[in-house]
Amino acid sequence: MQLSGTHRLALSRLRVWQLLNDPQVLARATPGVKTLVRDGEDRFKAELELGLGPVRGVFAGQVEVRDKQEPSDLTLRVEGNGSVGGIRAEGKLRLEEAGQETLVHYRGTALVAGTLASFGSRLFSGVARKLAAEFFENLQREGNE
Amino acid sequence: MATKFFGTPVKRREDRRLLTGGSQYTDDLQLTGMVHAAIVRSPHAHARIRSVDVEAARSAPGVVAVFTGKDMEGVAGIPTAWLIPDSDLKTTDHPALARDRVRYVGDGVAVVLAEDRYQAEDAAQLVQVDYEILDAVADQVKAVEEGAPQVHDDAPGNRCFLFNTIQGGDLDQAFEDADDVLSFRTTNHRMIPSAIEPRGCVAQYNAASGELTLRMTSQNPHIHRLLLSIVLGVPEHKVRIVTPEIGGGFGSKIAVYADEAVMAFCAMQTGRTVKWVETRRENFQCTTHGRDHVTDVEAAYTNEGKILGLRFKTWANMGAYVSTAAPGVPTWLYGLMLSGVYDVPAVGLEVVGVFTHTTPVDACRGAGRPEATYLLERIVDLVAQRVGLDPVEIRRLNFIGKEKFPHAVAPGVIYDSGDYDAALDRLLEMVDYEAFRSEQAEAREQGRYLGIGLSTYVEICGLGPSSIVGSTGFQGGLWESSVVRVHPTGKVTVMTGANPHGQGEETTFAQVVGDVLGVDIDDVELVHGDTDLVPMGMGTYGSRATAVGGIAAFKAAQKVVEKASKIAAHQLEAREEDLEFEDGRFQVKGTDQGMSFQDVALQAYLAWNLPQGLEPGLEAQSFYDPSNFVFPFGAHACIVEVDAETGQTDIVRYVAVDDCGEVINPLIVDGQIHGGIAFGVAQALYEHAQYDESGQLLTGSMMDYAVPKPGQMPSFELDRTVTPSPVNPLGLKGIGEAGSIGSTAAVANAVADALSPFGIDHVEMPFTPQRVWQAIQQA
Amino acid sequence: MAQVSIEVRVNGSTYRKEVEPRLLLVHLLRDVLGLTGTHVGCDTSSCGACTVLLGGLAVKSCTLLAVQADGAEITTVEGLATNGDLHAVQEGFWEEHGLQCGFCTPGFLMATVQLLERNPDPGDAEIRHALEGNLCRCTGYQHIVNAVQNAAGKLREAAS
Repeated sequence: MQLSGTHRLALSRLRVWQLLNDPQVLARATPGVKTLVRDGEDRFKAELELGLGPVRGVFAGQVEVRDKQEPSDLTLRVEGNGSVGGIRAEGKLRLEEAGQETLVHYRGTALVAGTLASFGSRLFSGVARKLAAEFFENLQREGNE
Repeated sequence: MATKFFGTPVKRREDRRLLTGGSQYTDDLQLTGMVHAAIVRSPHAHARIRSVDVEAARSAPGVVAVFTGKDMEGVAGIPTAWLIPDSDLKTTDHPALARDRVRYVGDGVAVVLAEDRYQAEDAAQLVQVDYEILDAVADQVKAVEEGAPQVHDDAPGNRCFLFNTIQGGDLDQAFEDADDVLSFRTTNHRMIPSAIEPRGCVAQYNAASGELTLRMTSQNPHIHRLLLSIVLGVPEHKVRIVTPEIGGGFGSKIAVYADEAVMAFCAMQTGRTVKWVETRRENFQCTTHGRDHVTDVEAAYTNEGKILGLRFKTWANMGAYVSTAAPGVPTWLYGLMLSGVYDVPAVGLEVVGVFTHTTPVDACRGAGRPEATYLLERIVDLVAQRVGLDPVEIRRLNFIGKEKFPHAVAPGVIYDSGDYDAALDRLLEMVDYEAFRSEQAEAREQGRYLGIGLSTYVEICGLGPSSIVGSTGFQGGLWESSVVRVHPTGKVTVMTGANPHGQGEETTFAQVVGDVLGVDIDDVELVHGDTDLVPMGMGTYGSRATAVGGIAAFKAAQKVVEKASKIAAHQLEAREEDLEFEDGRFQVKGTDQGMSFQDVALQAYLAWNLPQGLEPGLEAQSFYDPSNFVFPFGAHACIVEVDAETGQTDIVRYVAVDDCGEVINPLIVDGQIHGGIAFGVAQALYEHAQYDESGQLLTGSMMDYAVPKPGQMPSFELDRTVTPSPVNPLGLKGIGEAGSIGSTAAVANAVADALSPFGIDHVEMPFTPQRVWQAIQQA
Repeated sequence: MAQVSIEVRVNGSTYRKEVEPRLLLVHLLRDVLGLTGTHVGCDTSSCGACTVLLGGLAVKSCTLLAVQADGAEITTVEGLATNGDLHAVQEGFWEEHGLQCGFCTPGFLMATVQLLERNPDPGDAEIRHALEGNLCRCTGYQHIVNAVQNAAGKLREAAS
């Protein structure tokens, strides 16, 4: 499934970049993340809890930040497996200055497997959009503090 | 033969147990010491298995054993039984549990046995499989493209086979002579058979005697015995397959599946009785699917509307492995019907069977014939429109006339009998075709879009003459067996190798045998579905049970009467030719001397006074191998109304005239037709098994895959014509699949007709509101 | 797993059982009480093969926990006939060939009992609507609709 969109954050681009590169912030801002532990340069082990319609589960996985070009571009890769299936997502983020604010453009693909796919796939694009919105709202809140 | 029961709507004899909860399906079996299995299945369409860690599962509460593909290395692969010749068919290895690679979502990786089902499911979740996810391909057209992910290393380009054996007539000449050629590409989408009873199996192994018993959901227990004996290395006579009550098949309980082999293996390893019943999600992922063709059509026709030649190229999605009968479905069962009810001089077919990372595709109610009918019925309607004929006129112009039967058609079979005009006449009368056309014109003026679709079909069934099916590469004969055993009290047990699972054979076979023996049908019991009780038989599928199995029972019963007649003559001190057998009584003609069938039965077993040289007992066996297939046909009409605002298609009327030759039980025949029509209508309007680009089955539950509900089906208006088959002595054809063969095309033609004011002549199935609405917007 | 004590009355008999809190009602009926006439056809309460009457209401027993049925009065397909005489709904399905493989049938029978209690003289469309929670793959539903009409006639006649 393809995902793309743009969110406006009332933060400077540098501030957004810093937030995105702070594992503590990422752990708090990413919906469903229960733990996030550093596992190498720009790599993290994560425990995620996610629900799609009737299917809920805990996933063990990795989060990886790639192709960093400070302060504007990075790629986020998330892979998780759990008893209700697996999830693989990769998204390119581009930060664009818009006066005092920042536009975050994202574009990526997400694949679900297992129970998640066979029961929940109809709901997936809606849920993914909602999760993305939550993530950016959380990021804004983190930036305000 | 007096026909007291034949032709009458006898209430079904199997129903009392089904209506009271007194039947026993596989999942109802509770055997002492039974353990329960859950299979760990791949969530990925294509992946390399790096490792399987079963330690946590093994120590979970209640767990008895856990096995993986490595443990089953000594077990042979799951076989294919229809080895179509001259096609370079690649059957590839299909291990019962995957060892190094998984090839579709649902491919089995490990099996967990536990004391109860809940514990087994819990423990299955603890099995840790480390997958290296690989790229997958679900679409057969993409799968044959350069650079597509490969399903099997030994099937380059994902080609399973290339079949071009069906070439009849002079195609080049036909296209040269044609005034015009119609070409289009169309898809016959994937369906899930969706029997309401999932598959299941209870496996028992007696190590002391070496006997393996599998109680399982099977349409053909003897075929399962033979093939599983080969897979498991257990001698055939030590394998017993029992089919408890079967909750529907629709083709999905024909195949030999990995799962049953796994359960047998588990029982043999542990000595425990093992039960496994799939969940609906497993059923959708692992039980064979149906259809899934993409076809390029070229039709050569004259300005008068005569069809001269048809050329088809089909890409058939076979899924990840070649299922048991799968190669025969998109080749022979499809190709032989590609001239249908029409006198088409030349027909050519090329089929590319394609491996993809999806659930294996095999027979599904109609199996190949709905695909053929859909194409032909679209072709004649599209040609009619181009040459300015009415759909009725073009059909009449191209029909094989009733005087031409038996008739050899271009694809290479000989139709037994038919009167296609008669069925169409009756249909048009019931529909009141002219009145509908005026109603349609008026409705259009009010912005209401009504459409009528005709579908005139013929199908090949009653599979089939063994020598012919042998030449198609089917690894077996398709005769059928029956034993008619008369007991000393004159009560009768009939054994059949056909294996009913909803078709009502306990009633119809009793009607046939009851008439032959002159006994009441309540005195006739049908025994089926147990390889220890019933002689080798081929099972129920392909609308063959009655036209082949029913005839075997008829012939065995006739043999019984022949022997009984000898005994009666001897006892009555009369010559056999002076006896007449009427209504269950042997009577010396012109006298009051006689004896009842029951008395003869008793004498046969007492054996105090039998003709010299005649053995005691009264039973007979028949192995009936038909001389030809049978070819039921019919004419269907579907009237729809399409809401142009929403794209919603509603069926206003569905009228069908079917001809299945002589009818044993009209109530049961109507039921079969209803169910068949519903199956085909559902494909046209609702059902669509969909995969995403990574090979995930998106329609993985009954919430997502639209098996139709009562309110989504119309009432059907039925009638029939009767054109007996000359192939068998009762004039029978088959009716189990006919409805599904005729109906999909009728709906497709109706939708196209309804949308013709928008300049639309074709919409791809299924006709969901979204698709229809989009077609209208784009028009 | 901890066990919970429940008491249910099924087809007129009272059962006291210790069950896991997660045990589904359908498994209580089938595996614990041995009443296997109630079937399981899907995982998503879509097919209705598991329909039973609980306190007179048609419910899908695959979507209810056994503990939720504590104290309830349940009727399954095994409880429809009385002293070997079939219920009018069973008779109707038999006479009109309202079943083929029989797997979905118990669910349809139970849903029909409720339907006819609520509406003794339903139209065909009302029947189809009332049975929306049950799936049959064999019949195409028409003989089921006829069967319900047949049963409705029998029940009305018996009532008058």
